[in-house]
Amino acid sequence: MKQTTQTVFDFSGEIAVKVQSLNLHYNSFHALKDINCEMRRNAITALIGPSGCGKSTLLKTLNRMNDLVEGCKIEGTVCVGGVNIYDKRTDVSLLRKNMGMVFQRPNPFPMSIYDNIAYGPRTFGVRKKSDLGEIVENSLKAANLWDELKDQLHKSALALSGGQQQRLCIARALAIKPEILLMDEPTSALDPISTGKIEELCEKLKEELTVVIVTHNMQQAARISDDTAFFLLGELIEFGNTEKIFASPEKEQTLNYISGRFG
Amino acid sequence: MGSNSTKRRGDVAAKVVFAASAAFSVFAVFAIVFYIIYESIPALSEIGVFNFIFGTVWAPTKEFLAIPDRFGVLPMIVGTICVSLGAVLIGGTMGVFSAICLKAFCPKKLKGPLVAVINFLAGIPSIVYGFFGLVVIVPALMEIFSVASGKGVLASSIILGMMILPTVTSMTKDALDAVPSSYYEGALALGATPQQATFKVTVPAAKSGIITGVVLGMGRAVGETMAVMVVAGNVAAFPTGLFSNIRTLTINMVIEMNYATGLHRQALIATGSVLLVIVLALNLGIGIARRPKKYREKKRAAKLVAEPQPSAPPAFVKSGRGCTVLKYLSIVCVALVALALLTLVIFILVKGLPHIDLQFLFGESGNEGMTLRPAFVTTGLLILIALAIALPIGICAAIYLAEYSKRNSRMVRVIRLFTETLSGMPSIIFGFFGMLLFCEFMQMRTSILAGGITLSLMILPTVIRSTEESLLSVDNSLREASLALGAGKLRTTLRVVLPSALSGIITAIILSIGRIVGESAALIYTAGAVPYEPSGVMDAGSSFAVMMWLFASEGLYIDYAYATAAVLLIVVALINVAVWLVKHRLAVKAFGSSGKRAERKTAKIKEAK
Repeated sequence: MKQTTQTVFDFSGEIAVKVQSLNLHYNSFHALKDINCEMRRNAITALIGPSGCGKSTLLKTLNRMNDLVEGCKIEGTVCVGGVNIYDKRTDVSLLRKNMGMVFQRPNPFPMSIYDNIAYGPRTFGVRKKSDLGEIVENSLKAANLWDELKDQLHKSALALSGGQQQRLCIARALAIKPEILLMDEPTSALDPISTGKIEELCEKLKEELTVVIVTHNMQQAARISDDTAFFLLGELIEFGNTEKIFASPEKEQTLNYISGRFG
Repeated sequence: MGSNSTKRRGDVAAKVVFAASAAFSVFAVFAIVFYIIYESIPALSEIGVFNFIFGTVWAPTKEFLAIPDRFGVLPMIVGTICVSLGAVLIGGTMGVFSAICLKAFCPKKLKGPLVAVINFLAGIPSIVYGFFGLVVIVPALMEIFSVASGKGVLASSIILGMMILPTVTSMTKDALDAVPSSYYEGALALGATPQQATFKVTVPAAKSGIITGVVLGMGRAVGETMAVMVVAGNVAAFPTGLFSNIRTLTINMVIEMNYATGLHRQALIATGSVLLVIVLALNLGIGIARRPKKYREKKRAAKLVAEPQPSAPPAFVKSGRGCTVLKYLSIVCVALVALALLTLVIFILVKGLPHIDLQFLFGESGNEGMTLRPAFVTTGLLILIALAIALPIGICAAIYLAEYSKRNSRMVRVIRLFTETLSGMPSIIFGFFGMLLFCEFMQMRTSILAGGITLSLMILPTVIRSTEESLLSVDNSLREASLALGAGKLRTTLRVVLPSALSGIITAIILSIGRIVGESAALIYTAGAVPYEPSGVMDAGSSFAVMMWLFASEGLYIDYAYATAAVLLIVVALINVAVWLVKHRLAVKAFGSSGKRAERKTAKIKEAK
């Protein structure tokens, strides 16, 4: 294993994530254009905008999942917990431990519910049964799943309903005690009731950690987020307090989008 | 009305023809199994099934012994199992690790060449592997372990391992490719390193496919004849160590057949039955491994948090040394595979190319002096006969499977199962079947015709699979367009769908040619192993690989054996290039952006989003 000098994240500050003049290219396509924004600690930041505007791309730059995409070039800085994550010495694995991620489609591993949640802790060397048991229970409780699933922990995670799978994925992300939770349209594949449960969960989670959520659903952004960032064609058009953005946006494009004139 | 009803009658007749062709592989498997078993009954009843299988002495010519005491194949069964397990241990593990490396740890630029290496290994004829074992592996083992003879269990396992590696690798790679990438991404997002994500999530998720690949490889090892025959030592005794000479079931069949008569001969056919049973059992195993199974719940009790632990919360530290070791192991495996191929190719080309001259290629061949000339004629005729039979049947069968039957209906699954069984049958079994049915029962004698018909059965699965795949990849809108213009099903299939699947058919032809050029075990007792030129299809004749076997088994012609091996390698290389060209160039040129290029385009667009 590459021995990097230990990366130390410090999440005690008011700002959890700071993005500065970020430009991102997929080969010749300019996907993010000079993005500047800050995500507050213990707040929910929503990223909204029409398809292809770059909101998911931004989310993926925050935990360097874009490293997997071929031909992806990044300029500018992204600071998480005071660390520039695109520095060569940054330990990506440790970064991702601090940045939980929930994907658009629930992606439980083909293992039991227990093993799914224990996967992260085991990756980071937790072996003791009692420790793992405690983590599994706490994570499921945090994701409001414990009461539903406590008697079937050794069933396949693939047998759960879509909504349960997504909450399991949230529990799985929580099991490694992240400081920030990145959610990429976590409810777009779910029914309204499951969606409600996940929104409820987000509200609860922000007491413990910072949430960044990409959503297509403007009502959802308005309902749950504290800050909102509106993207259009790779540009950050407007960023600020959610109530203000939805009540009296400064830019015309924002108004057009939230009033449903395009999207 | 009149024309309408004739059209319908034509459609029905065509459908019957297609269905019959599809049923042919089922029929062929049954025919082979029953005929071989039927021909073994006299021997089995005289010797006794129990005595035959569990008898420990094989001494057919010691006539002072009682019959049940001199026909025992247990040493051969043990020998077969021994070298097959050895092959799985060597080739299976390396194959699985190579596939993992190709999938996860290999730089994009190296991937193409390495896949080409694996495909090349898959195409090398077994007699070339055997010869390579004899002239390189065996002496090397003698040197390394300082033993008197390098032949035996270890040498056979290494050669068989090299032979099954491509099968295992390509099956494992398919299985890994089928695992949703969201699993891998999910694991990375949890902070797992790429190697942890691969070995703890992706590989377990592909388990059943990997097992299938290994079992399939084992089936190949069990049925392999010519390659082991050269390096096993061929003594019918129980193996006692890595260098004890052994004899497998296939070797037993092939080396004694040309002088055996009466009960001895029948006992050799019965050996074939034992081999068949083992191979069919492995096929059954594959069927079971492949069946989509429900997640097995672990019976572990769910007592997780029995008592609250007062201890401090666990610390998260980086782990995963083990996975990193596995990663480097897989890279080493790929490097070894590439190195093995390089050694083989360079060694044979260096030793063989200087001996390729006009006398070798086109000189008179006979008992006094052998040349490669007869092989050109024989191989050409064999290819013509085999393709003339297998192509129409195979294409019709593929049309039935892809166009006329419901996807994944029971019927299709049965036909597919039997086609796979047919493709998994050892070539020596085909050889015996051809010898018994075509040469003897149908009185074709040992002839190129009989050899060609036997080969047609062997290449049938390739033709069906390749054609079916490309039929299935034809865009549905083409069919709809044709139907919307009022064309019938038959016309649509023959005029629109089939031409679009041309690349698959050409691929099938090329692959079949490769198989025929390299085939030896199935031909020795059907088309014959004679050094002179055939004057017609009813004459005996030797193909390239059989000729090479003749050269290699006589000390006088060792240079010619090298030269033939070099020729065979060049043919394999040409065939690989041809297949690649057909897949990548012809497909794109002839049918616009069909196939992979379009896939890549859409993938790029998706990624950009």
